[in-house]
Amino acid sequence: MKTAARAPATLIAVDGIDWAAMLAAARSALTPRARGGISRWDASGVFQDLAAAGPDAGAPSARTLLLLYAADLAFRLRWQIRPALAEGRTVVAVPYVATAIAVGRAVGLPATWLAGLFAFAPRPDSRRVVHPSRDAPPAAGARDGFAGFVCERMATADRRASRRLLEETSARLSSSRSRMTRRL
Amino acid sequence: MRDSAAALRRKARRHFTDPSRPRGLLVAFEGPDGSGKTTQRKLFKTWLKSEGYDVVTTKWNSSALIKPIITSRKTIHALGPEEYSLLHAADFRHRVEQAILPALWDGKLVIADRFLFTGLARDVARGLDLDWVLRLYEPLLWPDLVFYFAVSPATSGKRVAATRMPTFYEAGQDVTHVDDPVASYQRFVRRVIREYESLALIFNFITVDAEQTIREQHRQIRGLFLDGRQRPWSDWNTDAVADWLATPGAARR
Repeated sequence: MKTAARAPATLIAVDGIDWAAMLAAARSALTPRARGGISRWDASGVFQDLAAAGPDAGAPSARTLLLLYAADLAFRLRWQIRPALAEGRTVVAVPYVATAIAVGRAVGLPATWLAGLFAFAPRPDSRRVVHPSRDAPPAAGARDGFAGFVCERMATADRRASRRLLEETSARLSSSRSRMTRRL
Repeated sequence: MRDSAAALRRKARRHFTDPSRPRGLLVAFEGPDGSGKTTQRKLFKTWLKSEGYDVVTTKWNSSALIKPIITSRKTIHALGPEEYSLLHAADFRHRVEQAILPALWDGKLVIADRFLFTGLARDVARGLDLDWVLRLYEPLLWPDLVFYFAVSPATSGKRVAATRMPTFYEAGQDVTHVDDPVASYQRFVRRVIREYESLALIFNFITVDAEQTIREQHRQIRGLFLDGRQRPWSDWNTDAVADWLATPGAARR
């Protein structure tokens, strides 16, 4: 009896600043043959809890936000990504490491610190960077994404500064390579 | 316009080496649970205030922003070692930026009831790589003095069990997988103490024999503080201060 050929376990990273476009790209990456799912940022609810904190708690710095993103990614790896890969499924991580590194670089954090922070994350089997639409301003689709969240927090009183950070993040994503991640 | 990194480093160095203003001092109390460091920290603070110091205390896992996030996840035993480590590093970073560095900048004396070495000892005891954990805490802020309260695993276990049942993560049950919290604590605290002893050698902690009487320890701490308080500003801290000065809230300084 013939058994149906099954696609091998695959981790696909979808990075970018336009959240809606990233989600669309993640859905299209899941072919009907590839059983699997999408792992979204803030699956652990850390950022949702953060948003609930009052102003007296003090605004988090970019470093603090990146540490929290790494904690959320560790959660996603433990509960979503690794179990699915162990079952031979395809997982699309949206976003993964590259977005966090690009936004960290855009706000001025050292590349070595960012690379070390995410050293626990396995290298994806394939990587897609979603570029923002040329017709829409970068902030338009970024609101619900991680990059938009950080840029807005880093430049709360200045929309133009927030937009510049997003543009810088997008430019860094376009020029980035997958060397920042490694397979465990 | 924002200052360049080099300008911020110069600003940091100039501020902390200016002889015309009182220099902030950072004193850390480290040790396993049950080592009596909190008792000593309170006695030390009372004495410092009586000596006229402007004292600020900061405790481990206490930032108003991150602590609720950690607490809710600890309650349901939802944290793996990496998440545990990263969330505590985030809590520490937030306190460094919001409480510790502002107080040091204003010339206050900061007592830290546990510092980043707690994260290192516990996380490495949980099986994480020391270099990776150390990197989470960069740019590193080094205390002027670190008092390490040394006790045996048996004493630590006895003192903790005498007052309360160790919590799930305190007992290291997430990594020992031992059902009995007291038995798990005994096993886990051995690993934590082993890591502390390595850190004490690497980072030159001042070791206090925490098996001595409370009075004797306090007398010793006073003497060690008086000897050590005149230490010059450590240039190792320039990066940490410059990094903080670059954050939006600190830019007003």
